[in-house]
Amino acid sequence: MLTPWATIPLISAIIQPATPGTYDTDLEGVAVMAVAVAIPKKKWTGQVRDVVLGATEADGGTRSKTVSVGGEGTLPFLDFEAPMPNAPRVAVEIKDRRPDDWSPILLEAWGDFMDDPAEWAKAVEKLDVDLLLLSISLTDAEGSETTAEQARSTVRKVLDSTGLPLVVFGPGQTEKDIEILVAVAEEAAGERIVLGVCDDKNYKTIVAAAMAHGHLVDARAAMDVNLAKQLNILISDVGLPLDRVLMDPTTAALGYGVEYGYSAMERLRLAALQGDGMTQQPMLVTPGEEAWRMKEAKVGEDVPEAWGDWEERAISWETLTATTLVQSGADVVVLRHPESVRRIKDLISKLWKKGE
Amino acid sequence: MSRYIASAAIRGANNIVEEADQLLQKALAEKGPDAPVQFPNTAYYLPVIYGFTEIQVSKLGDLLPVIEHARQLLHPVPRGKLWTPYLGEALDSGMATLFAEEAIMGIKYSLGDQPEKLDGYPGLVTAAGEGYCNGPIDDVQLRAWGIQLVDGRMPGFCALIGCAKSNEVAVQLVRELQRRNILVFLSGNVNGRSIIHQLLEEDVEMGYDTYIIPFGTDTISTIYPLGFATRSGLTFGGLKAGQARENLIYNKFRVFAMALALGEIDDLKYATAAGAINYGFPAIADTVIPEILPTGVTEFEHVVSMPFDDIDGKDDLERAEKLIQKCIEIRGVKVQIAEIPIPVPYGSAFEGERVRKDDMRVEFGGKKSRAFEYLRMLDPDEIEDGKIELVGPGFDEVEEGESIDLGIVIEVAGRKMQEDFEPVLERQIHYFLNAASGVQHIGQRDIAWIRISKSAADKGFRLKHFGEVLYARFKGEPWNSIVDKAQVRLITDPEEMKKWIGLAREAYGERNVRVAGLTDEAVDEFYSCTLCQSFAPTHVCVISPQRLGLCGAYNWLDCKAAHRINPTGPNQPIPKGEELDPQLGRWSGPQEFVYDHSNQSIDQVTMYSIMIDPMTACGCFECMVLVIPEANGVMIVSREDPSMTPAGMTFSSMAGTFGGGLQTPGAMGVGKFYLTSPKFISADGGFKRVVWMSSFLKESMPEEFKAVAEREGVPDLIDRVADERSATTVEALLACLEERDHPALKMDPIM
Repeated sequence: MLTPWATIPLISAIIQPATPGTYDTDLEGVAVMAVAVAIPKKKWTGQVRDVVLGATEADGGTRSKTVSVGGEGTLPFLDFEAPMPNAPRVAVEIKDRRPDDWSPILLEAWGDFMDDPAEWAKAVEKLDVDLLLLSISLTDAEGSETTAEQARSTVRKVLDSTGLPLVVFGPGQTEKDIEILVAVAEEAAGERIVLGVCDDKNYKTIVAAAMAHGHLVDARAAMDVNLAKQLNILISDVGLPLDRVLMDPTTAALGYGVEYGYSAMERLRLAALQGDGMTQQPMLVTPGEEAWRMKEAKVGEDVPEAWGDWEERAISWETLTATTLVQSGADVVVLRHPESVRRIKDLISKLWKKGE
Repeated sequence: MSRYIASAAIRGANNIVEEADQLLQKALAEKGPDAPVQFPNTAYYLPVIYGFTEIQVSKLGDLLPVIEHARQLLHPVPRGKLWTPYLGEALDSGMATLFAEEAIMGIKYSLGDQPEKLDGYPGLVTAAGEGYCNGPIDDVQLRAWGIQLVDGRMPGFCALIGCAKSNEVAVQLVRELQRRNILVFLSGNVNGRSIIHQLLEEDVEMGYDTYIIPFGTDTISTIYPLGFATRSGLTFGGLKAGQARENLIYNKFRVFAMALALGEIDDLKYATAAGAINYGFPAIADTVIPEILPTGVTEFEHVVSMPFDDIDGKDDLERAEKLIQKCIEIRGVKVQIAEIPIPVPYGSAFEGERVRKDDMRVEFGGKKSRAFEYLRMLDPDEIEDGKIELVGPGFDEVEEGESIDLGIVIEVAGRKMQEDFEPVLERQIHYFLNAASGVQHIGQRDIAWIRISKSAADKGFRLKHFGEVLYARFKGEPWNSIVDKAQVRLITDPEEMKKWIGLAREAYGERNVRVAGLTDEAVDEFYSCTLCQSFAPTHVCVISPQRLGLCGAYNWLDCKAAHRINPTGPNQPIPKGEELDPQLGRWSGPQEFVYDHSNQSIDQVTMYSIMIDPMTACGCFECMVLVIPEANGVMIVSREDPSMTPAGMTFSSMAGTFGGGLQTPGAMGVGKFYLTSPKFISADGGFKRVVWMSSFLKESMPEEFKAVAEREGVPDLIDRVADERSATTVEALLACLEERDHPALKMDPIM
């Protein structure tokens, strides 16, 4: 039997500072009982590194702003323990061309913008997000392998059309990623973009390209604390300063292992706060890509009626995946649907106290 | 340092600084102090000067303090009878030489005298134009090559300075370097003749595309490669101008460069070489010169003499090949083989492949013949890297489906190699050979059993290809971090077979003795294994000589080698620290390590007890040990045993209950060879506590258990231990133990 709401101690009462009668709640119609409780505070010794993405004209780039990520000295949003100077950042993923395998819901949402990465980027910028992630496809529209030159010109177009700091992902195949990201790094020299993904197979090259042209890397390891930490060590051994490394512990969609990713991120963050210097990188994760790969988001036909409205379900899938990850310490979440962006920004604005 | 070399270098430095000064005075008089000085298409001003002194040279006048600085680094030439150290003086003089040389090139650019024009060689085309030597490597190229130098696709660069014995030798030297993807930088001359002339006469194409860069026919042009190295440190090392020491260290450990001096060496060459040694770049000469062998500023030898005509080889071409081989060795350059040259596909996808009798071309070992494999460590000088030798006939004359004897002997050398790693490397042979399509490998040591399929043989696979595979793999990542050189001998000749199998068996015997003598007391550190933390986040295996990892895959020696190969990996040394309780096997080091690496959730751990703070259990342990209080002992279930046990649980339910990184007094996951260790739950009474054990275990290592029973003083102990055939309940177990008079019943209470 369910316990009636009135009898459970309210969360707001537990975390309420011990001044009776001064607490406001967003929860409409819920009674607030003021109780004097001393809030237990954990004293952490470590802190996440502050990493700056993008370079404005003053720093030799052309971005309209820079974006700081990380810097927190406590678990997500527990800023009564230690400051959380930066809100989790929202990035939106676009592709270099109209993708072949995206859900019709996404195709509808972005419409003709998808035919031109420059226009797409502009549309993203209008959503008032923090970052733009451009992911390069393995093949071009005609089906031939994307060349380094094509990638270079797409990056140039996107850089010219938006002022957002940029993350660029290769197609995800070691050899191809090396070829494409090295060219992209050169094209975007000075812009302080993030090159990804940088993994245990390609890190030497991607890191060298980042060092040669003043960029950052997105260090991806497979949902494992030690592998993530080891990759950070290897990257810093090659010579890239750690304030130019984002850590990407890999994630999965709701219902497909998000709890596994959550656990890895949580442990990485605990290790960071406990003072392990090689786990103190801000974390970037890609809930958009993961959620939209799954049947619940991608498919609208031949599914049980109980699944309900397709569009709402798909957006909820992405939003809930991202919400979970924001709670486990994500510093950047990469999304795909504009409505998910709105909902996650709304969530963050309610949870984050502007670093005060 | 050799007095001869130091004197020559100091003399050379004094002269070149004087020359630079005179040239500067002349240029100042002609053009004035504001005349611009710059290298084309490069950042960092004159990079060596800027990198080390922070002086930003952009006009002639800026060079005055540079010359002044160079002068301050000069020293008088050591007098005949002075025996004080002069390494520092020579290295200072080397730096002074580089500053002077770069100043001279800067002035010459200002005067329009650089890059050097070579008349009469229309084939010379470089970035500087037709008929011109290259001058400094431009920034675009620096970044492109720099990325490859950092990620290892390009192993390093070799500066060839002077003039080779003949045009033929010059070409061969360059080809040997190109073959290994090593950048070739050319400069200098001997009596006016340069290797650049030699290569042009032989129509060798030069330029960025062919990795061969002609800088100039004088020694001074050697400054461009050193500028390239300095700029690498600034570009890729994240270094700032003025971080002189950091830049030199960066180059020593990151830029695998060396100088090969061809022909007679004059004072200026010695002085330039002294400058290069500052960067950790060694010099090799093909003439007789004094050597500087001790290591220090360079990682290995500083100056090595290899008089060309004395090199062992059938002709000059082979001598040239060996000269390059030696250069690579001295600098510690790791060259990897991109593709293994064998006629069948290769990859881990083929590892599980079986070669059935009907598909078999030939087999080695098994029932009808003998096969052994033996890997040993030798001194580097005793190994000819890459040599693959077939001793005896191949299998071409052997009938289809026949079985013949084969010995595989691999000899390796490495500056980080240890004798202890021999068995660890030897065990890789199994994986290396199995990955070739059409090859099946089973067993190890002298019970190896190898088959080659008909289709592999039809495609041309022969015995020497075993050598190709083994050589390439041992020289590839990650093994190349301990193996610098390797050679392989494949033996079918009966006499040689007899001789080598004897040597191999002697070595196996010695290794067995060494491993047996390796006790927990004899070492200062244990090793961790945190490989399983992805699914058991709080599990830390502490691996000691007498307690291997729970999965059975890693013993202490494996961990030691794994750590050497992959210093940031899951196997880290754990200093034992303070001995807190030798009986329980409790040390401060492992406890601290486990606490720090278990997300601060496990702070007490012992090595030899199942009752008090036992090690956590991962999930992939080979056996589960569980206390049976009623029987005053423990039972051991192996992973292979699906049956019910007296504990009322099967192996899989036990793994689910006690695994996942939990610490449970009374329960412990172990590797099966730990069962035979004298340290097996020694704090709780040792092996005599074992009252029940899966029959699979008893049968899989009967000899080992027999030895344990004798050690424990109860020779028929194993027969008194119950198994799933005699008892699957506590009642049945107790009856069985009473009947067999098991010693555990009379021991002190386990709880």
